[in-house]
Amino acid sequence: MSVRSEKIWNYVILTVMALIVLWPVGTFIAAALSPDRAGRPSADLQWGNFLTAWTNAEFAQSMTVSLTITVAVVIVGTVLALLGGYAFGVLGVVGDRVLFPLILLGMMISLEAIIVPLYYQFRSLGLTDNLLGVILIHVGMGVPFGVFWMRAAFRSLPRGIFESAEMDGAGPMRMLWSIAVPNLMPAVYTFILLSFMWTWNDYFLSLVFLHGDNQTATVALGVFQGRYVTQINLMAAGGLIVAAPVLILYVIFQRKFISGMLAGAIKE
Amino acid sequence: MSIAHAGAAVPREADDGGSSATQAIATRRRRGRTSHARRRTRMAGLLFAAPGLLIYAGVVLWPLVQSLQYSFYKWDGITAAVWVGFENYLSFFTDPILRSTLGNVLVLIVFFSLLPIALGLLSAALITTGKRRGMAIYRWIFFLPQVLTSVVIALLFKRMYAPEGPINEALRAIGLDALTKNWLGDFTWALPAVGLIGTWVTFGFCMVLFIAGASSISPELYEAARMDGAGPVREFFSVTLPGLRGQIAVALTLTITAALRAFDLIWITTRGGPGTSTLTPAVALYKAAFVNPDVGQAAAIGVVMAILCLIIAVVITRVSERE
Repeated sequence: MSVRSEKIWNYVILTVMALIVLWPVGTFIAAALSPDRAGRPSADLQWGNFLTAWTNAEFAQSMTVSLTITVAVVIVGTVLALLGGYAFGVLGVVGDRVLFPLILLGMMISLEAIIVPLYYQFRSLGLTDNLLGVILIHVGMGVPFGVFWMRAAFRSLPRGIFESAEMDGAGPMRMLWSIAVPNLMPAVYTFILLSFMWTWNDYFLSLVFLHGDNQTATVALGVFQGRYVTQINLMAAGGLIVAAPVLILYVIFQRKFISGMLAGAIKE
Repeated sequence: MSIAHAGAAVPREADDGGSSATQAIATRRRRGRTSHARRRTRMAGLLFAAPGLLIYAGVVLWPLVQSLQYSFYKWDGITAAVWVGFENYLSFFTDPILRSTLGNVLVLIVFFSLLPIALGLLSAALITTGKRRGMAIYRWIFFLPQVLTSVVIALLFKRMYAPEGPINEALRAIGLDALTKNWLGDFTWALPAVGLIGTWVTFGFCMVLFIAGASSISPELYEAARMDGAGPVREFFSVTLPGLRGQIAVALTLTITAALRAFDLIWITTRGGPGTSTLTPAVALYKAAFVNPDVGQAAAIGVVMAILCLIIAVVITRVSERE
């Protein structure tokens, strides 16, 4: 009896908490589909709101910018993470007693601590309002986590596979690409997902560095919602468009997101 | 200074290592693992790590040093900068607006850190003792806010808190019309309202962290507690909570740091207003850097935030390891 009631209370409390978490999301989705400008839920679903929001906010432009930045950062970031993780995890690095702590320090440095000189330096180099500039910053700030993450992955591989490859005369480059990387794909996929999410979801960096035609989707959404205060349904539709890419990935790869973010938090 | 030196030293050493990198493995095979061969492999390693290290040094380490330098000047971003010593740091004590941001952070810590950790512990305890069907769905739902972009989260809650939004409508529906208000426009309620957004975002992350930690607590401890006749509540306080000390330390560090750094949510929902009631250091930094340029002041805020983050991380880790 008491075990049974304990069980029921578990479900009741968890369900109440789940409903509280879902409440804002649910009303937002209802608003996005509502014909009512104030966004009151309605049984008459207006799927056309998405199209209207897409054209009114010129999301085609800003989503392309976001996608360009994100894909570039993911590709370059993954290659650098593999190279760095291989160096620190397998080969060893001259000066790693200084260099590795320096890299770990980077995981604790927030963007706020560097944004001011970064902006004024990049401005003098013509790299503000320039996708290349933002890509560089994302990549540079991602190096510490990338090296840390891939180093751990390389160290979890059995040493034997490198030694036997060495006997066969494989150089460090070949050992990396044809022996280590194929064995590391799960860690690489997780890294790609996290890197995609962090870059796509960024707001602060894009807000400071990119304007006008170079706006990312998140910043464009911020501008759009300021302009459409009276059309809640369109604003909500726009929000769902911007959130969609990462949400879809989360639906498919839930476990990888959760385990990756946990490992990144614990760092040991 | 030493940081900048280390960053600049990377390319030079990398160039030296380049010529010998390809020979490193062959050499090692001939002579076995001599220290000479190992050094060559480590040179190759430096070459492999160099591209990432260089970009990192240029984009993170060098600006970090420059932030320090900027923070000792008064500069509007255009005319010549003037050396002012520690003035930009002293304004944390003399400028009432800047000082108020630190008070606001203390309030936000309750909502970004203490409340999510309490809720995370509760839900983790319920999910782990459950171990029944459907728990994965709860985990999926509670973690969902973690993957939403901050702009969308801000919009979700701008709508929730709006004068005609769902919260006020719910209050009217149960006859509590007197409590309805424009939550984000209210001097008293705006800060807790913004804080609760943080609670909503963070608690699922804390929960997942605690579930992972609880799974590594030895089942024997639970059995022993049951033998002593402990109920679920006593079991939680005598076994689960002590076993999660490390995870709680991680959660405290991350969430307090998040409260200190809060920007996106606040910038989109309230811009720090009404008045300065939701102003945080990061919003003050943004305004000083890019709205009404007082660049040195902005750099000083960034430096102070970085130092506070480091102190928080070190203190919490030390305390959790000592006990």
